[in-house]
This record gives sequence, C-alpha cells and structure tokens, in this order.
Amino acid sequence: MKPRRERIDPVAWLALPAVAYLALVYALPLIMLLARGVMGPKGFTIEPLASFLSDPFNWQVIANTLKIAALVTVVCLLIGYPTAFALAWSSGWTQVVLLAAIILPLSVGVVVKAFAWQIVLRRDGILSQLMVSLGVWDEPVRLLFTETGLVLGAANVFLPFMILPIYSVVRLIDPRLAEAAATLGATPVYRFRRIVLPLTLPGVLAGVVFVFSLSIAMYVIPSLLIGDRYQTLATLVGRSFLFMRNEQLGSTTATVLLVLAVAVVVGSGVLARRLGRSA
Amino acid sequence: MMPDFLTIAGAAKFFGAARVLDNVDLGVKRAEFVSLLGPSGCGKTTLLRIVAGLLTPDAGTVRLDNADITRRPPHHRDIGVVFQNYALFPHLTVAENVAFGLEARRAPRGETRAAVARFLGLVHMSEFADRSVRALSGGQQQRVAVARALAVRPKLLLLDEPFSALDRKLRETMQIELKRLLRELSTTAVFVTHDQDEALMMSDRIAVMNRGTIEQLADPATVYHRPATGFVLGFVGLSSRIAGEVVAAAGEEVVLATPRGKLRAAGTLASGTKAFVAVRPERIRLGAGGGDNELELPLRDIVFQGSKMQLHFDAGEGDQVIVEAAQLPGLPLAPGAPVKLSFAPADALAFALDAKP
Ligand SMILES: Nc1ncnc2c1ncn2[C@@H]1O[C@H](COP(=O)(O)OP(=O)(O)O)[C@@H](O)[C@H]1O
Ligand SMILES: [Mg+2]
Repeated sequence: MKPRRERIDPVAWLALPAVAYLALVYALPLIMLLARGVMGPKGFTIEPLASFLSDPFNWQVIANTLKIAALVTVVCLLIGYPTAFALAWSSGWTQVVLLAAIILPLSVGVVVKAFAWQIVLRRDGILSQLMVSLGVWDEPVRLLFTETGLVLGAANVFLPFMILPIYSVVRLIDPRLAEAAATLGATPVYRFRRIVLPLTLPGVLAGVVFVFSLSIAMYVIPSLLIGDRYQTLATLVGRSFLFMRNEQLGSTTATVLLVLAVAVVVGSGVLARRLGRSA
Repeated sequence: MMPDFLTIAGAAKFFGAARVLDNVDLGVKRAEFVSLLGPSGCGKTTLLRIVAGLLTPDAGTVRLDNADITRRPPHHRDIGVVFQNYALFPHLTVAENVAFGLEARRAPRGETRAAVARFLGLVHMSEFADRSVRALSGGQQQRVAVARALAVRPKLLLLDEPFSALDRKLRETMQIELKRLLRELSTTAVFVTHDQDEALMMSDRIAVMNRGTIEQLADPATVYHRPATGFVLGFVGLSSRIAGEVVAAAGEEVVLATPRGKLRAAGTLASGTKAFVAVRPERIRLGAGGGDNELELPLRDIVFQGSKMQLHFDAGEGDQVIVEAAQLPGLPLAPGAPVKLSFAPADALAFALDAKP
C-alpha cells in the first residue's frame, strides 16, 4: 500500500495573493528586524535577550503591557457581550442605528480619538465634572495619565473588535433553542449558561484575541493617554528606535512582544478547539 | 363524563391588526391525542405556542390539570414541545440533549441516566447516544426530539408538524411508531399538521382550523363522513359535488333541484337556498341500487390507484363527480359512455353554496 500523501486543498491557492503580499511586506521585514535582536557582531547571540530579561525595569514593562491588555479586554467583553445581543436581536431602524454607531467610529483615526479622550479625562474634563455633579466624587479627579484613563480610552477604541465577532455568532443562534430549553424546564439563567453562552464562545474567543492582540501592541493610545513615564512593550520599542537610537534593544523588545502576542493567539486557538470538541 | 385535562377558552391573538386566532375553545382529555388540522397560516403554530407559554394570548385562558396556566412561564408549565425543525441543541450529543430537561430540573444523576437510556431505547436511538446531533439524519433528529421532550414525563406533549420534513415512506413508519409510543406512555398530546391523512390516521379527535377558528372538533370518522362545514368537507378528503337549489326541506333532510335531477341529502337549509350536494367518492355506487339518489353521467377518465380505481365523470359546469371502487363491475366502461350512479340520501350532505371554499 502506498503511503497516503497529505494533499493541499486546491482551494488554498485562493489565499496565494494574500500570503505573497504578507510575506513580502510583513514577514520579510519582520524577520530582518528580529534578526537584529539575536545577531551580534560575532554572529548569533542570545546575549541581548538575556540582558533584557535580567533588567527588573523590563519585567515591569512586560507586567504593565499584560495588565493593560487584560483590563482592556475585560472591559470590552463586559460592555461588548450584551451590546452584541442588542445588535443581533434588534430589528429595523434600531439595528441600523446601532450598527452605524459601532462601525462608523472605526473610520475616525486613533490619534483623533485619543486626543478626544484627553479632553474627556482631564481634571476639568466632562467625565470628572459629571461624576462630581452626580455626587459620586467629592472633587474633580484627573484620569488622564492614569492606568484607568488608558484602559477606558483603549477599550473605547477597540470595542467594535469585540462586538462584531460576538454579534456574528449570536445572529446565527436559532431563537427556538432557548424556547426548547424553556419548555424542558430551564430557567432563564440556566438557558443562558447551558445554551446561549456555549454557542457564543467562538465569537467571544475571536473578540478576545482581537482586542488582546490590538491592546498588547498599541502605541499611539498609551503615548497620548498615559505618557512616557509609563512604559509598555510597544512604547518601549518606539522609544528605542526613535529616541534612544538603540536598534538592538528595540528589536529585542519587539521579539518579546511578538512572542507574547503569538502565545495568546495560539493559546486561544487551542482553547477554542478544545471547547469545540468537548461542547 | 371525564373532565378536560387541557382547556383552552376564548383564546385570541393579534399580530398588529391581523387577527390570527379568533376566540378559540378547545378541550383535550387525559391521554387523548388531538390533532390541529388546517392549511398553512391558519394559526396552528400560534395556538400551540400559546399553550406552551411561548406566546401570550391577547384574550382567553389556558387551563391544564385544574390550574390556570395562562400567565405561567414556559419553564414552569411542564409541557413538552417537539418543534417543527426539532431545535436540537447543536453543541450537545444525543444523550446530552435527552438529559437536558432532567438536568435543568436537578434530577438525581442516576435517575437522569436511567431516563436517557430508557427513552433513547424507546425511540430506537440507543446506539447513537454519544453522537453529535449534527451528524443525524432528519428522521433520527426527529426521534431525539421526541425522546428529549418525553424524558421529563411532561403532563402534555405538543408536536408541531414533526413529520413535515421527512420523505413519505419514512413518515408513515414514524407516524405508526409515535402513535404507539404515546399510547404506551398514556401521553396527552396535541399534534399540529396540515396533512389530512396524517390527522385521520393518528388522532383520537381532530380540530379542523380555518383562518384562526376551529370549524369542527370531532373524531376522524365524523370529520370525514359528517363534515360540519363546507370548508371541512373540502379540506378533508375528496368529494363529489353537484350544485342546485333547495326546493323542499323537512327535518334533517332537504331536496335539491339540480341540472342532473332532484337529489335528497342530509342538511337543514331553507327552501330557495342555493346549495350543493356533497358525497364521498366511495359512497357512490356504480349502477343502480346504491340508494334513492340516481344520476346518469358520461365517464371521462379511469385512474388506477393500486388498491382502488377512481372514476371521474363529466358533471357539467362547476360540478364534479368522482367515484371510487375497489373493483369495476362487469359494465362496459368506455370513456364517453353514460354510466348509471346511485347513492343513499343519508350519505349525501347539503351545504349552502356560499360556504363552498
Ligand atoms: N410573530 C409573528 N408576527 C406577525 N405575524 C405572525 C407571527 N407569527 C405568525 N404570524 C402570522 O399568523 C398567521 C398564523 O401563523 P401560524 O400560527 O404560524 O400558522 P400555521 O402554523 O397554521 O401555519 C400567519 O398568517 C402568519 O403569517
Ligand atoms: Mg406552523
């Protein structure tokens, strides 16, 4: 018997333009950049990486990056999950308006949005004024240049990337499934836990991966909302190249950032598969 | 008399300005199998959803087992539903689908496992227990949906056209199986269908629905042989019909003058009413001797139907005469040749002509 050879599905050739484009303008420069992180004057070396990891400051930067990305993802999930249902279950004009409200902001540049949030988060900004007039805060508080302000601003910018994938799976759920569960004696909470939540998990996972990878790598938003006293991996990459002119440090930092991002994406992929199998 | 187990009284439902259910009354006895039969769009699913608690009626009450459940949410009603598209949970296996209702009621684990095994066995799906429901055929999905609904032993089972997606051969098998299963379990069931043969063969009683009302609620033989309205007559089974005018009325019988002669029929219509006489095809005899009503009409076609022959006659404008016979008598039956037909006045029904569907 001949060994069966793994054949490539001919349909995969349709992805050729995309793959070629990405290889040329993304992968190639990226490899060249990363190579600098591990290439010294005497060839291959892990010395830059080792010295990067031996510096406690850099560990603080990694912690900052992961903490902000995790918080942004959680905020987006808490706001985005119910919004996706509102979007999927509304109809007519309500749905059109909601969809426009979620998609149109994508056409406003990140810089513009970040500056807008600067105005919102200032000590005399509208958020502070609102909280004081509602009596929640005793006196005006500056959220600009704080972690809270950064998370709020970034969550706002990345929210559509959480809502849209969840919306796309909610739309496909047959409403009769929840009705069938109800006639079998399931309370609304039980219905949500056993039927709706598991069926929306693929969308949740996609949204989490989008928002986490976007926020782990964001540069403009932290630059404008928290300033350079607070460093994340992405702002450190920028500083290394632009201000410190330290290409070695920049490349090493970029490598660490990339490894973290890839770990999250691959990890979620594995998780999704496992959920898909057990569910 | 045994009191009704399920009672629907004065149920009404509007969607916008459209009246979808109009003052519907229906009583179902314990362990009875009642069909809601009617054309698509007549409100069958709407009525079923009101009973299940998935839709609130605009008027009327629903009582089950001596309790008013009109405002009770579906998860407290104890009513099982087999949906038209089955609505199986796609992310669960066959066994998990069947276990769902018991788990939702926090039944002990052992009891759940026993019920799942028992009901999968009853619908002949035991060997598929660990399969994903996505991998099942239509007939298998239908069995799982029935097992899932029955596993919690609901007080009432509702089925919304459960066989409509199956091919005919499989449908007939499933009809017999389901009927037997529900009888074994003494399940009270309300069954929705637009298929008259299905309703006639499966039901203890049939509620024939038309445009949001129940036109007749009776056992299959009565619905077939004594349809209450022209609509029921036309919807359930074939019939011959000859139009005319009532010329005499006495008690339960009328005499119609038709272009084919005078015909006597059961009915209570006033003299002068434009009406038609309807007779089921198997109640007309080829030749004389079938009863006091006699006709002579030219034969048009003979249609062979396996167990019986169907003969179509030229009856004139707007009328039709169809006769069914198990075998043809030794008459010369050539198309175009006049044939003598006869039927008993008791087998003929008179309906006012405006009631013709
Ligand atoms: N949610 C709804 N909104 C508006 N009209 C509806 C709705 N559900 C059903 N209808 C209308 O009510 C009528 C009866 O529907 P239905 O009960 O599904 O009929 P059946 O099950 O007998 O085919 C139909 O004309 C249908 O278009
Ligand atoms: Mg229907």
